[in-house]
Amino acid sequence: MLEFIISKYNFWFYVILMMIGLYAMLAKRNLVKKLIGMNIFQTAIILFYVSIGVKAGKVHVPIIIGGHGTHHAIKAADYLNPLPHVLMLTAIVVSIATTGVALAVLILIYRRYKTLNEDEILAIRQAGRETGA
Amino acid sequence: MKTVILIFVILAGGLLLYGTMDMPAWGDPNSPANTYVSPRYIEEAMEATETPNIVTAVLADYRGYDTMGETTVIFTAAIACALLLRGIGSARKEEDES
Amino acid sequence: MIWQLDFLILIFVIICAVAAINIRDLLSAVIILGAFSFFMCLLWTEMGAIDVAFTEASVATAISTLLFVGAIYKTTRRSKD
Repeated sequence: MLEFIISKYNFWFYVILMMIGLYAMLAKRNLVKKLIGMNIFQTAIILFYVSIGVKAGKVHVPIIIGGHGTHHAIKAADYLNPLPHVLMLTAIVVSIATTGVALAVLILIYRRYKTLNEDEILAIRQAGRETGA
Repeated sequence: MKTVILIFVILAGGLLLYGTMDMPAWGDPNSPANTYVSPRYIEEAMEATETPNIVTAVLADYRGYDTMGETTVIFTAAIACALLLRGIGSARKEEDES
Repeated sequence: MIWQLDFLILIFVIICAVAAINIRDLLSAVIILGAFSFFMCLLWTEMGAIDVAFTEASVATAISTLLFVGAIYKTTRRSKD
């Protein structure tokens, strides 16, 4: 039982982190808080993917020892799995792009409604629709 | 409303926790992800690309087109930001003057 | 990899995440999000993903916090929840 917990507790922490992010995205009414929640959610998922490639024990980071000109046989068991790192590198950079566009839209929303609270924005829109109709 | 959201979040988290029961142990060197595709990259990257850093070799050499597409995404995001925020500073200046 | 260090950093990451979504001042929340990203960076270095770690340290921590602070400067730092 203890061995099972030791082999799995990292995944449980990632799930807790994901739940925090999801709760912030759904329950918080402030738009910046929602964005912070989205960042936490993304980080949890990236963390999960990177953790798939971890090998326990004495392994090296994925840089060939000896550098240029090394032509001896390389054993795959000596190095970490590099593929999750590569794919998640792309994911991190794309997440920054989405955050940037979201913040630009946020600034425009604030200029129009003078608030960042979702309920107040919906109330202003409702009032505007009633007076307009 | 908050209790409904909390129940939904706990339900989703519980489903994922149930999913981790079938995952290989954390850091297992013999898990499918560590034994299926990646040994080929680790063993042949040095010979094929002459780059000691395997992550860079895969990012810029094996997956060069993927990285080019990523650059397109960043460029699109930058253009979108520039178009959305066009004239924000000058508009404030006009408000100050009037 | 040292499991005690791993466990400690995971606890810090959870604390930072909970604090970031519960603080009412948005500027403080964003700065705590930066601290969260730095702890994440430590976690990745500890896992051996050094390329991901320095991308996180430069891009996600610096540029993301900068964008958030800029947006809050343009809008408001008060929040009701």
